[in-house]
Amino acid sequence: MIREKNKNSGIKIMQNKFYPVVFLTIIVLVAVVLLMYVSNITRVKILEQREAKILNQLKNIFPDMEKYELKDDIYIILKDGKSISYAFIAKGKGYGGEIQTLVGIDKDFALKEIVVLSNSETPGLGSKITLSSFTDQFKGLKSNEVVLNKDGGRVDAISGATISSRAVTDSVREELNDKIEIIKNNGY
Amino acid sequence: MMEIEEKFTAKRFWKEIAKGIVLTNPVFVLVLGLCPTLAVTTSVDNALGMGAGVIFVLLGSNIIISLIRKITPNMVRIPVFIVVIAAFVTILSLLFEAYIPPLYESLGIYLPLIVVNCIILGRAEVFASKNPVLLSMADGIGVGLGFTVSLIIISFLREVLGTGSLQIFGKKLFAIPVLSQSPLTIFIMPPGAFIVIALLMALFKLLGVLKNE
Repeated sequence: MIREKNKNSGIKIMQNKFYPVVFLTIIVLVAVVLLMYVSNITRVKILEQREAKILNQLKNIFPDMEKYELKDDIYIILKDGKSISYAFIAKGKGYGGEIQTLVGIDKDFALKEIVVLSNSETPGLGSKITLSSFTDQFKGLKSNEVVLNKDGGRVDAISGATISSRAVTDSVREELNDKIEIIKNNGY
Repeated sequence: MMEIEEKFTAKRFWKEIAKGIVLTNPVFVLVLGLCPTLAVTTSVDNALGMGAGVIFVLLGSNIIISLIRKITPNMVRIPVFIVVIAAFVTILSLLFEAYIPPLYESLGIYLPLIVVNCIILGRAEVFASKNPVLLSMADGIGVGLGFTVSLIIISFLREVLGTGSLQIFGKKLFAIPVLSQSPLTIFIMPPGAFIVIALLMALFKLLGVLKNE
């Protein structure tokens, strides 16, 4: 008898015209709470992963590094408390999406090394920008030389992947010029 | 009475799983979810990661949607499904980023795009919203496995032909002498995906025809 009554009242609730709205709202709230919880327990780990990745790359580029400081998106590489070189991340638009490149420079603003951190270029073609045969060309270049050969500079584009090559080259040069300004103005 | 019903359920459970892999194989039979299939089958590693992701999301969303199927108003069922699926995908992508970052990076945009993978919404609408929880679980596992198996077959062919070697979990399993020096690069590029999928589809169709005769 009681069960019957409950069932009836359940149907009544479901026939209410606001029921769909309330139901969807409840579902969304539950999802939000759940996501907040998962985000909370993974956040530290995710930040650690990102930092570990950058730190690893920086250590490869600057073997002398003792620690680094991040100011204005510039990684200031420190040894004995003095800045010995700098690094930053350049972002360019390639053929398949954004290309992120970690750029290491000397105290006199010549390129030391570049490492492509992430890209979604065509495998086997554009993705060759990650190979050292491409990135090694950047070693020792000054900002005005970081231009593709066919545009009058000193970087050979990968054949069949001019857009990807140009995206890396241009983003590195533009970001380098920006960062040199910032470093000079702030005396990092 | 109870026992008969139990037996029936267990049998159907396995039947649902098998059905998802063979009869209603999402890629080769239903031709659903082709966008991620084309995109992530460049390596077997990616295929395994994507497959595991889809199984997790499909299983989770099928269970929840089946549990709330009697109280879900028809009018808002699609938004409800999408919220449930999106929640699972976001959880998955957070977990991948925190614990398996290399996989997170190689799957890239296709991980969040599991939300709009029509296989998952399709199973929610066609199956989970109309069937009890256990059967919906079986359906999720079956279709998820079917998707994963398809991805593995496609990516195996593409990786071997396109790079001349096979790597699983970063370990090189084998390299074919001549092929690895001058691989058929077209197979890991988008056209290769279409070619491989088309040939496999034709092959399975032929097998089906032969079997029926």
